[in-house]
Amino acid sequence: MIWLTWRQHRGEALTAFAVLAVLSAILLAVGLPMHASFNHDIVQCIDGSAVDREVCSTNLAVFEKSSGFATAILTLLNVLPFLIGALIGAPLLARELETGTWQLAWTQAVPRMRWLVVKVVALVTLTVVLTGAFAALITWFRQPLDALYGRNELDGFDVEGLVPAGYGLFAFALGAAAGGVLRRSIPAFTASLLAFVAVRATVASMLRPHYQPPLTLVENIDAGSHGIEIGTGNRADWTLDEGFADATGQRLTRTDINSFDDMARNAGVNLTTYMHNHDIQRWVDYHPASRFWDFQYIEAGIFVGLAAILLALVIWRVKRRAL
Amino acid sequence: MTTVMADLAVRTEGLDKRYGRTWALHDCTLTLPSGRVAALVGPNGAGKTTLLRLLVGLLAPTRGSVEVFGQSPTTNTATVLSRIGYLAQEHPLYRRFSVADLLRFGRACNLRFDSGLARRRLDSLGIPLDRKAGALSSGQQAQVALALALAKRPELLVLDEPLASLDPLARREFLQTLMGAVADDGVTVVFSSHVIGELERVCDHLVVLNHGRIALSGDIETLLADHRLLVGPRTTNNLDHTPSVIEATHAERHTTMLVRDGGAPPAPGWQPYPVSLEELILGYLRHPAAHDTGHAAEHSEAAA
Amino acid sequence: MFVFRLDPNSGVPPYLQLVQQVRQAILLGFLQPGDRLPLIREVVESLAINPNTVAKAYRQLEHETLVAGRPGQGTFVTHTPTATVSPATYTSLRRGLQSWLHRAYAAGLDEQAINGLFSTVHHEAKVEDVA
Repeated sequence: MIWLTWRQHRGEALTAFAVLAVLSAILLAVGLPMHASFNHDIVQCIDGSAVDREVCSTNLAVFEKSSGFATAILTLLNVLPFLIGALIGAPLLARELETGTWQLAWTQAVPRMRWLVVKVVALVTLTVVLTGAFAALITWFRQPLDALYGRNELDGFDVEGLVPAGYGLFAFALGAAAGGVLRRSIPAFTASLLAFVAVRATVASMLRPHYQPPLTLVENIDAGSHGIEIGTGNRADWTLDEGFADATGQRLTRTDINSFDDMARNAGVNLTTYMHNHDIQRWVDYHPASRFWDFQYIEAGIFVGLAAILLALVIWRVKRRAL
Repeated sequence: MTTVMADLAVRTEGLDKRYGRTWALHDCTLTLPSGRVAALVGPNGAGKTTLLRLLVGLLAPTRGSVEVFGQSPTTNTATVLSRIGYLAQEHPLYRRFSVADLLRFGRACNLRFDSGLARRRLDSLGIPLDRKAGALSSGQQAQVALALALAKRPELLVLDEPLASLDPLARREFLQTLMGAVADDGVTVVFSSHVIGELERVCDHLVVLNHGRIALSGDIETLLADHRLLVGPRTTNNLDHTPSVIEATHAERHTTMLVRDGGAPPAPGWQPYPVSLEELILGYLRHPAAHDTGHAAEHSEAAA
Repeated sequence: MFVFRLDPNSGVPPYLQLVQQVRQAILLGFLQPGDRLPLIREVVESLAINPNTVAKAYRQLEHETLVAGRPGQGTFVTHTPTATVSPATYTSLRRGLQSWLHRAYAAGLDEQAINGLFSTVHHEAKVEDVA
């Protein structure tokens, strides 16, 4: 059965391996110099051991410029866990059904349940290995970028750590389920894509901010300072929202804040002084960077859970011959 | 030829199959002694594929039972599956597999698989082992699919319209291989066909299926002996309710009837003629509803 | 080796065609005592017919003492039947049939009518024989 699973799916598996190999080559070619320049020029600027702040500014600007492309590429790479999972999962049932070979496969002496379970286990393992390798590669590549900019966005959180394997598994399960229902590989792939995007978008935008209750930083505003700080001071923290609150702690709206500008001018003082005098504070809702792994576990868990439900449905349907 | 009645290859009892709201098969009861070659005939949509899939466990009955050599194929155990070979319509194969890959597939998935036998057979047919299945001709694909099914050394071989997409030469070669296997191993064969022509030389058992019901089933020789055509002067009697009259055709001055009278002497004025297999099948297909001959056939089988 | 043929349109059951061909061949001397009939497997492979059909034909021939089976070796033609038809008898029967046909055509019967008449009378004769 293992030979059979490999022989039937080796086309997709080898394609995925090839894509990963090419990607690895590219990321290594780009990443090694990036790591080197980071370790040489940048790391001392952020851990506080640097001496010359001017040089640091310049180096940071240069680094930022040269690694700017990475954001776009890494965002695009979000498609890879889906591709790997769905390419392997969609043909599992759909290809047998559309070519009629299910009648050949399920009249040999291997009972169909055993056939299905062995294949699912083998292909799930393959998907996890491939997407896991992808995640490891990206995590390594992003080390400098994570240190500088954090790892909370689509080009960071979603392609690092555990979640890519979770997404890949989910895509595999979607492909297999869609294939069983639609009985054709290409429609199954398309349907999986739509469902995948919908679920990912929903989870990332509506669920992820709430995995744990956010922390809130409240700060006074210094009088006479040149600008108002934003964020928590730690770039790696995930800022959800920030704004101002009045002395009673009530959060202020945009309109309120706009009026301060006018009022400060009328009073003839600096905006920050004005705000300081009126006990205006600033607040930041955020998740600290230390929560990265907790959130990774939770989100990966969600997608693994969804995948498990879908796969259970697939197995149940095949068991009941509902085809 | 002696048939040991205890050794039934196939036995179904009140078999029903429903898809959603459509009844594909209704109340199908039949027996098939082992060692027979049975033809399942009927028009398209009669339910032949459904019945065959029930025999090999690809479908489960909605009601009723099906047994192959005393065991239910629906359980899908390895033992049951290894006793049955199945060739689906259009003989599906893994098109990107080479013939050698397909043999390996067979060996990997079966308890008993004689790849040497399959290889010898394919060799003698000139089918190369390294060719991809998708690159073979239709006739060659059918032979490969048959070789795969026979290499399991099944006791029951079920084929769904195996000759449909084959040219006459390929058809003949396929039947030669199939009959050779029957001669060698005594395998019981059931195959469906909507072409009646080639049946008589190959089959000794018949099942006629129409609109999901069994119109007729039994040993061909017995059925042909039990039926005859009677020709006589045109009669105006209402023959539809006479139990032994299967079909009556009226011309201007004479009437032809297909009757099942077990060879009893005809009434005066009627000339008896033997009926051909094709006429018998067509007669039952044209008039399926009135005669519950499915059960009658079983009783005469049991009594024989 | 003896070669069988099968005519699917003759209206004669396959096993009977095989029996008739063997009878005919023995009658005309194409099969001699001691000749081995083809093995069931060989007939099946060449004609693509049901092995039971061949087995049945061979049993019928055995019953008519035209052939005898030797276990493990095959089925062999036995002695020529006592009721051999001499070429002379055969020719005279043929001539008789030809003249009858001549009369039938002259009377206005066509091929189908003649076949129908022959089948009926032949059938009746067989039935009377059995009864």
